[in-house]
Amino acid sequence: MINENNYETYFMSYIDNELNATERAAVEAFVLTETKYAEELAFFEKTKLQAPSVEMEDKIFLYRFPEMDAKLDTDFKNSLYRKEAPVPKILFTPNLMRASFAIAAMLILLIGLQLFKSDTNILESNALESNVVELALKNKTLLAITNNSSTNSNQTENTILPKGMNKVAISNKINNINITIAKSTTNQASFEDQTIATNNMNTNIVSRSEDFSETNSENDSQSIVVAKFNEAQISSNSMETMATEEEKIILPTNYKEIDTEEEDRTINIGMLEIDGAAFRGITRKFSALLKRNKLEK
Amino acid sequence: MTVTFRSRARLMLIEPSFIHEQLSMTDLEFNICVDDYSDGVYRFILKISKNKEDARDIVQTAFEKLWVNREKVETLKAKSYLFTVAYHLMIDQLRKESKIIMTDSFDENANAITQGSSELKQLLLEAINNLNHTQKSLILLKDYEGYSYQEIGEIMQLSESQVKVYLHRARQILKNRLTHLEKMSA
Repeated sequence: MINENNYETYFMSYIDNELNATERAAVEAFVLTETKYAEELAFFEKTKLQAPSVEMEDKIFLYRFPEMDAKLDTDFKNSLYRKEAPVPKILFTPNLMRASFAIAAMLILLIGLQLFKSDTNILESNALESNVVELALKNKTLLAITNNSSTNSNQTENTILPKGMNKVAISNKINNINITIAKSTTNQASFEDQTIATNNMNTNIVSRSEDFSETNSENDSQSIVVAKFNEAQISSNSMETMATEEEKIILPTNYKEIDTEEEDRTINIGMLEIDGAAFRGITRKFSALLKRNKLEK
Repeated sequence: MTVTFRSRARLMLIEPSFIHEQLSMTDLEFNICVDDYSDGVYRFILKISKNKEDARDIVQTAFEKLWVNREKVETLKAKSYLFTVAYHLMIDQLRKESKIIMTDSFDENANAITQGSSELKQLLLEAINNLNHTQKSLILLKDYEGYSYQEIGEIMQLSESQVKVYLHRARQILKNRLTHLEKMSA
């Protein structure tokens, strides 16, 4: 039943249209009994909003049309696909390319320098070998002389040792010396002074061998003189070669002028032969890159 | 109404046979839902969000969701589904905007919508402006759309008794406000 305590709930349910017919009739009867409740109900009714006529703009976009669900045939769609060749991946970025070019250039220069150094070392080692040969020759001659002197002394003093033994020993030594001389001559064909010295040595040795073959004590003494003379000659020659050693080590370097306009030219760096046109292209690219970098900076 | 007729006319412009063959019932039902409910959802959202662009976006999203879930949603429950989705989208939008200072008021938008309304309505709109979002939503769903307590509860995810209590509380506030304003004016 509606009373003074619950009439508000009934009134609000009444205006919300949440009461059934019996309850609505009860509320209307309650209001009729008391005028002040009629005013209350009127106030509650005033709180009820009237729906304004609001129309949404662009409502057309909400509608669904058959075109929206239109689909192409799969065969036709497949025919639209473009089948392109796979694009190769760029492994080198511009910066990496620059760095790799720089490293390659450095490596080429280093290899060239190493090869140049190895050439000079070979020449130096040849020069040293010649000196060693000369020194060996000197020692041999001295040995030969001492043997000669010993044989002479043996001959003069009429010792037990036969002359043939000395001859054989000396001839063996001479053969060894000849071999070393041959080696030295083959290694250093260009050094004229040295070859002269070796020729003198050969002649002297030959003369000495001839002297030994004669087995004459008088001739032996002469050969000693000749040997001493040759020794002096060899020593003088060796001194000359020592003096000219530094000049020989410094090889004459031929600088060839490169014609930059020649298209088919080749540049030799050490043992490497570089195509001139390609090298010029690389240098131009380098210069262009450097210029670009400068401009960017 | 013009939009409704225009849209239906456009549908008919396409070859009728094609429509019958291609356009399923779901499409037609959806377009009928647009005709019948879009204005109501838009009005409801606009009253609370106070922003036409936001209201339009919310309505569009709600109808998109209806289309996506057309297989699951019954045609008879499409209206409550639309209001439910729109209400929750609006709540999310308002939560985002709560961090931003609201400059425009309910009155400004209300004035634009209810041009030529009486002084009582103006006072009522001012009173509604002081209600919270839940109370406002309850009033609007009840008065504008005529939903029952149960339907409102489904839309706003409240129990029927909660809807009744909150709505009555809101009406009491409005009534007191109107009484006070009338006394002041008198």
